[in-house]
Amino acid sequence: MPLESLVHTALGMKLAVWRSHGPGPAVVCVHGAGVSSRELLPFVRAMGATHDAWSLDLPGFGRSEKPRAPLTLTALADTVADWLAASGLERPCLLGGSFGCQVAVDVAARHPGAAGALVLVGPTVDARGRSPARLVGQWLRNSVRESPRMLPLNVADYVDAGPRQVLASFGTSMRDRIEDKLPHVTVPALVVRGGKDRMVSQAWAEEVTRLLPRGRLVVMDGLPHMVPYKDPEGLAREVAAFLQTAFLQTALLEAEW
Amino acid sequence: MVKPQKAVASFDSATGMLRALSRFLRDRDVPMLGQAPGALEPVAAAVAGAAARLPRAAKEKAYAVSGWAEAVPLRRVPEIRSQELARWVSGHYPRGPYPVAFVGSSNGALVHLAAALRAPWLPQTLLLPVRRRGVGPDDPQGDLRATRAAGEALLAANPDLVLHHMHDANQDRLMIAGMTYFRVKWRRLPEAYRRFLEESLPAGGTLVVPECGLRWPVTRVGPRYVFQHGALGGATREEYEHGGPRVAGYLSRYGAGRERWDYPPADGESPEAEWGFEPELLADLEELAARNGWRLARMRFSEPEDLSPVVADLYRDWYQRRGLPGDRLLVECFLLLEPWWALRSGSVPYWMVFNAEQSHARAMAYLDGADPFDEIRLMLFSHGVESVGLAGVGDWRRLLERARKVGVFTGVDTRTYPRDFAGLIRAHRELSRIRTTYPMPLPLEWEAAEEFLGKREEIDWSG
Repeated sequence: MPLESLVHTALGMKLAVWRSHGPGPAVVCVHGAGVSSRELLPFVRAMGATHDAWSLDLPGFGRSEKPRAPLTLTALADTVADWLAASGLERPCLLGGSFGCQVAVDVAARHPGAAGALVLVGPTVDARGRSPARLVGQWLRNSVRESPRMLPLNVADYVDAGPRQVLASFGTSMRDRIEDKLPHVTVPALVVRGGKDRMVSQAWAEEVTRLLPRGRLVVMDGLPHMVPYKDPEGLAREVAAFLQTAFLQTALLEAEW
Repeated sequence: MVKPQKAVASFDSATGMLRALSRFLRDRDVPMLGQAPGALEPVAAAVAGAAARLPRAAKEKAYAVSGWAEAVPLRRVPEIRSQELARWVSGHYPRGPYPVAFVGSSNGALVHLAAALRAPWLPQTLLLPVRRRGVGPDDPQGDLRATRAAGEALLAANPDLVLHHMHDANQDRLMIAGMTYFRVKWRRLPEAYRRFLEESLPAGGTLVVPECGLRWPVTRVGPRYVFQHGALGGATREEYEHGGPRVAGYLSRYGAGRERWDYPPADGESPEAEWGFEPELLADLEELAARNGWRLARMRFSEPEDLSPVVADLYRDWYQRRGLPGDRLLVECFLLLEPWWALRSGSVPYWMVFNAEQSHARAMAYLDGADPFDEIRLMLFSHGVESVGLAGVGDWRRLLERARKVGVFTGVDTRTYPRDFAGLIRAHRELSRIRTTYPMPLPLEWEAAEEFLGKREEIDWSG
C-alpha cells in the first residue's frame, strides 16, 4: 500500500497524519516522547498490507502544529480522541509506542468507546523507576541494541519539536501514574515488550498486563525498546493475530448483551 | 574417607530438592540452585549469559567438564560411607517438632506438599557420580565393564545400600562422557535418619512414605547391584533396548557411528534408579513408627508426575480458601524448584520430571482439565543435548499461550535452549522479580491436606 501524507485538524490544531490503506480494520499509532511518526512509518507500511494503518504526529511534535505551551497528557489524549471521533473510523485499535502508550491509555480510560482495542508497545514509565537519572541510565543501556539507522530520525524529531517540547514530554511521561488508569481500560489490550528492552522491565510489562482487565502480554525475543522500528513485520503479525481474537471476543460479548 | 558433599552430585534431583526444601524450612528461597550465596547471582548470571554465547562444541565441553569435576575418582568409591551420607542429608534440616515427616521417593510435587506443611523429606536415593575414562557415551557395556568393580566394592563397604548403576546415553550424553551414574538407595534406615526422625517427630505424628512405583528394565549384576538401561524421559524403554528411527537419527546427529545402543541383555525390572521406591526400606520404617507411636502412611503412586496435578490442585484450593486468586501457575522442571517463591507469588506449582515430550503432554493435559490461569511461568532445565523426545521451544510456547494474560518463559533463553546453562541461574533471578506478592501463609494443616489427598485416585493410601 502507498503511504499517504495528510493534514487533519483536531481541537483546532493542524495534525500531520500518515495512512497506509489496507483492507482490514483500522490501527492508529501514537508515537513516543519527543519523537514523531517518523520511527513508526516502517510499521505503518507493514501493517497497511493487511489493515487500515494510520499514524499521527501529536501537537508540538514532528510536522504537527506547535501549541504555544507544551500540552499536558490530558490535552494530548483529548486531541487524539477528537481526531478519532472526527475520523469516522469504527472503534479503531489504538497503538501506542513508549510514551504513546500513556496517551493511548488516557484516551481509553477517559473516552470510553473511542478505541475498540489497545496495543501498548513498550509501555512507560515503570512505577518503580520514575527518576530522571534512572530513566537516562535505562535509555543508555537500551540504546546500544537499537538500530543505528534510527538515530538520524530521532535527531530530526528533536529538532522539529525543540528542546522545550522534548523536555516537557519527558516530564509528562514521568509524572503520569499510568497504573491508576490501567484498571479502567475495558477494551482488549495487547502489551508488547521487546525481550531486550532495558527501559521496560519484564516485571513492569507483566504488571501493566495484570492491571488491564483484558490484557495480554507478548514478549518478542531479542528486541529492544523500539520494536516497531526494529521488527515492523513481526509486530504487524502480532497485532493482526491479536485483533482477530479481540474483535471476535468483543463481538461475542456484545452478542451476550 | 570421601566427604559426603563431595561424593553426592549437586546437580541432581534428590540434592536439588533437598536444598530447595531445607532452605524453605529455614525461610529462604533458592538463588543459584542453593549452591552459592545469592549475592553472587547478578555476577554469575552475567558470566553464564556470556558463556552461553560460546560455540556449541565449547558449551558441550563445559557441560561434560562440570559433570566430571564433581564426580568421585574411581579408586575412592570404596571409601564412601552411607552413614556419613545420611548424616549430611539430615543435617540440612532444622530439628522439629514437625507434625508430619516424609521418607522415600524424590519428587518435585512432593517437595511443594512438604513445603506447604512445613515438613521435612528425607530422600531414599542419592546420586554418586563416578569418574571413568576411555568409554564413549554410547557404549553401555563398556561403562559397566569399567566401573563394575568399584560398584561391588561400594556395596561391600555399605551393606545397607542397593546400587542402581544407570546409563542414559540419550539425556545424559554430555555428563557421562567422563563419568558414570551410581544411584544408591537405602534398603535399611540409616542411623542419622532414625535419630533425626526421633528428635523431630513427636508421638502421635505421621510418618509418610512416598512410594513411586516406576520400574525400569535392568540387567542384574549382583544381589544388590543392577544396571539400568536408560531412564525416564524422551526415549521409550523399547528404544533403549532395540533402537528405532528416532534413536538412529539421534546417533547420526551426534556422529556416534552406530544405529542403536548395545545394552547388556535385560533380565528383569527393578525400581527406577532415580524416582522408584525400593520397598525393602519399609520394614525398618514400620518398626520405627511402631516404637515411637507414629502413624505410618504409605503414599503410593505409579509415576513421578502422578503427584503433580494433585499438589497443584491442593495449592489452588488452599489459595482460594485463603481468599487469594490462585490464578498463577508456575511450571517447574526437574531440579528447578522454588517452593518459597511459589508461595510468596501465590503461584500454583506444577512439577515436570524433565523437559521431554511426555512431560509436555501431561502438563497440557493438566491445563485442559483445570480452570484457566491468568499467568503461566515456565522454568526449563537445560541439559545440553538434542536428545530423543525433547520437546522444542515451539511446543512450550503452545503451553504458555494457554495463559489468559501472561504466559512467559522464566529464565529460558529460547535461542540457546537446550544448551542454556545460564537459565539455571536466571530462573530464580527472574522469578524473584515478580510483582504483586503475598505474605507467607501459616503452614497447611496436615489433616486438611490428608483429607484432600485421600480423595484423589492418583494416590493409593494405606495405613
